[in-house]
Amino acid sequence: MHDLTQSRLLRWSAFFLLIQSIILTLSPAVRERTWDVDYKISHWLGFLAWVFLTNLLHRVTTKYIPERDPYILPAAALLTGWGLLTIWRLDESFGIRQTVWLAISTLAVILAIIFLKELNFLRSYKYVFLGGGMLITALTLIFGTNPLGYGPRLWLGCCGVYFQPSEPLKLLLVIYLAAYLADRVSFQLFSFPLLVPTLVVTGLALTLLLVQRDLGTASIFVFIFTTLIFLATGKRRVLISASTFLALALFLGYFFIDIIRIRIVGWLNPWSDPSGNSYQIIQSILAVANGGTIGRGLGIGSPSLVPVAISDFIYAAIAEETGLIGTVSLLALIWLILARGLIIALRATDRFRRYLAAGVVAYLGIQSLLIIGGNVRLLPLTGVTLPFVSYGGSSLLTSFAALFLLLIISNVEDSEPAILQEQKPYSILAGILALGMAAVAFSTAWWSVIRAPDLLLRTDNPRRAIADRYVQRGELLDRNNQPINVTEGQSGSYQRIYLYPSLAPVTGYTQPVYGQAGLEASLDNYLRGLQGNPSSLILWNEMIYGTPPAGLDVRLSVDLGLQAKADQLLEGNSGAIILMNAETGEILVMASHPTYDPNNLEAEGETLSQDESAPLLNRATQGLYPIGSALLPLIQAEFGAQKPSEAELQRLYEKLGLLQSPAINMPLTAPQDMKVSPLQMSIAAAALSYKGIIPSPRIATAVNTPEQGWVVLPALGQPVEVMQESAAKEAASSLMKTGKPYWSHTGQASVDDTRVTWLLAGTPPDWRGTPLVLIVALEDLDTALAESIGENLLNAAGLSQ
Amino acid sequence: MSGSIVLALRLVTALALFAFLGWALYFLYREVNRQGLSLANRRIPGISLTVKQEAGPSSLKYFAQSEIVLGRDPGCEIPLIDDTVSTRHAQLTYHHNQWWLEDLASTNGTFLNGTQVSMPTVITSGDEIKCGATRLVVSLSENVINEPTQKIGKKNEK
Repeated sequence: MHDLTQSRLLRWSAFFLLIQSIILTLSPAVRERTWDVDYKISHWLGFLAWVFLTNLLHRVTTKYIPERDPYILPAAALLTGWGLLTIWRLDESFGIRQTVWLAISTLAVILAIIFLKELNFLRSYKYVFLGGGMLITALTLIFGTNPLGYGPRLWLGCCGVYFQPSEPLKLLLVIYLAAYLADRVSFQLFSFPLLVPTLVVTGLALTLLLVQRDLGTASIFVFIFTTLIFLATGKRRVLISASTFLALALFLGYFFIDIIRIRIVGWLNPWSDPSGNSYQIIQSILAVANGGTIGRGLGIGSPSLVPVAISDFIYAAIAEETGLIGTVSLLALIWLILARGLIIALRATDRFRRYLAAGVVAYLGIQSLLIIGGNVRLLPLTGVTLPFVSYGGSSLLTSFAALFLLLIISNVEDSEPAILQEQKPYSILAGILALGMAAVAFSTAWWSVIRAPDLLLRTDNPRRAIADRYVQRGELLDRNNQPINVTEGQSGSYQRIYLYPSLAPVTGYTQPVYGQAGLEASLDNYLRGLQGNPSSLILWNEMIYGTPPAGLDVRLSVDLGLQAKADQLLEGNSGAIILMNAETGEILVMASHPTYDPNNLEAEGETLSQDESAPLLNRATQGLYPIGSALLPLIQAEFGAQKPSEAELQRLYEKLGLLQSPAINMPLTAPQDMKVSPLQMSIAAAALSYKGIIPSPRIATAVNTPEQGWVVLPALGQPVEVMQESAAKEAASSLMKTGKPYWSHTGQASVDDTRVTWLLAGTPPDWRGTPLVLIVALEDLDTALAESIGENLLNAAGLSQ
Repeated sequence: MSGSIVLALRLVTALALFAFLGWALYFLYREVNRQGLSLANRRIPGISLTVKQEAGPSSLKYFAQSEIVLGRDPGCEIPLIDDTVSTRHAQLTYHHNQWWLEDLASTNGTFLNGTQVSMPTVITSGDEIKCGATRLVVSLSENVINEPTQKIGKKNEK
């Protein structure tokens, strides 16, 4: 019966890992959306090694320990295999190492099962084990290194093989305490027999904490000690005083030990410093959020974005790629081991074995809860490993030693357990562990389902930039469907190309490091395919690829021919030009100089953002200039010869839309202190070219949807009549210059350091074609230049004699 | 296309996990069942005790339970009216397929065939227990199936 249970469960484990391996092999095809990719093969070596070693272990256990518990080996084997594949997926070389460690650990357990079936030697030599373990740990204080080259120096070794003595020391502590407590029949709290182990453990914990800065291992020591004393005495005071001790240690550590302060601040308030001290925890939560319910699939997420994903944050990596279903199952597997372990403890034939099994359960449970809780921000981060799952030879070997102890202790033919003095402590321990598992499960669900949509939109979520490399972004086109910004390359290496760089202040850029600007930012939802596509398509793509569908092309009202002319005319000057259809508000030309080349953004980004001439700024919508005498024609059209009062003038400005930002989907600066942007000026001046009506401006005119083709993007506001048509015509006529086929007016202003020359011009009142309005704003006092730019551009637009 | 295949495989992995956990739960359920059945089917060989008190006639008592306490207390299974017997004097328990005699820290001690009992001791038919001045003669029933329970699990094994 035992053998049947174990082999069935092991078969399901193997099936799960087989499918996971197939997914990992196919994952490059999913990421790049083509069958022509380099498939991942190497992890099959790990899978086959797992199958072979697990099968061997299964056979040895059925032969040598027939009465063992049949649940813990399959659960531990599944966790180990799952961890192995995840490690292999994150880093192939660590996958190979972990496979070697798996082989060593499995063989060690097999030899131990065959030759060390009696555990009494542990009891006899408890001081030797503990002393040896402490000695080796002490050596790390002197010879300690860290394989990564930085961080806590908790390892011993050289030449590529490292060992962390504090890992097995936890188990040695369990053995020592179990033997020590089993040798004594009854206990008084605060009595001499308890003084010795208390001092030993406190000393160890404090040493680790103060010298090694290893908060995780120190607290595990305290927890193991507390659990065993609690089980032996049955006094709840033990739990209370241990909690007080830990809280006090945390409190003092907060003030005196940097790493603890960093961890606690990062835990309590991670959002305040997402790129610094809280970077790890935020990235971990983002990975959990990206996993959602069913996960991305092994090899399809981006868990390598989380630092040390192979050991400390392997839970986050698993959450990202198998989702809430995977993590809840993983927690259920750990719980299965813990619950069976407690049953094994209760069924043990003597007190030493009972304490030993319970201590092993406490070690596995507390370490799992600490690191998983740290991953999902339920607890402060402690750098411990997840037993069985995380990368690490010492960790895996210790986990397997714990597995060995549980298997041996459970192998009792005599069904007569030792007498239990106090049943309560075992129920309380089981309850605490169960509550802990439930708490981490709920935290995971909180991040992966409830908070996920908000989290994934965070700008520091690198997955958006990664998705851009794999999904074609929509193109920006001019009014004649000439491409302006396009995406080129293969899936996996898509790149944005800016074919008309001079328009950069207007169209902006999209770039992994510098983010997005201009129309690339304001039209991002269309270009990224999140808007305009059917929601079922978006959902399907999210589900199978974890990315949005291919982006949609957006047509702008810009005329590249006229735009080129405007850029040529403005070259070498600072300022902005807007040529607008006065009736519809469509922007035909929007130039802002100085400009920059977004194709070189990666190299020049830092310089550009520091540049005092502000090339990244779109002067046409974000530059604010004093109005000065520019609006004189409109004021005269409204009030005639009489001078308006300040209040009347304000009302006119408000009517002309000069006091608030125009309704258009692009980056704007709100007007202030009677300074306005050239775009606002062009809207106000449009009244003179078209019937006294100011239009609502538009630059993005249509989007190419897969279902309905080009769909018009309407203006965001309504046209407003601001003056009588006759008054507008009269004003425009009075501005006609002899020999010029258009009306024009220049004005200047100089407030503080800001100097500006305005040119307002437009089609005459009797014009039969498209009514146009032109604004030139030069950051200089140069009326002649402004007039010459205006004449040349309007000529190009068809207004010539 | 690859995405759809992998999506199907991802759902299969979820099912595999659930299958593992489902099987584990199912086996646990069967284990609980089996344990309950085996405890319910466990039979205790009946024990007959001939109580010979100094004053009064001897009496024969038969028990089919696993714990029998002797003492002056009326709540005991075998109440003894004898001043030399302690309130809870000694107990007979059945475990490990044996009946055991254990002294419950009595004032005058418990004797088995003339030897004082200081630790739980196995008793058989014909043994004589002496508590204070009272003597009891043990007689175990023969016609008892000791361990009938193993069969329940056996038939499911492959």
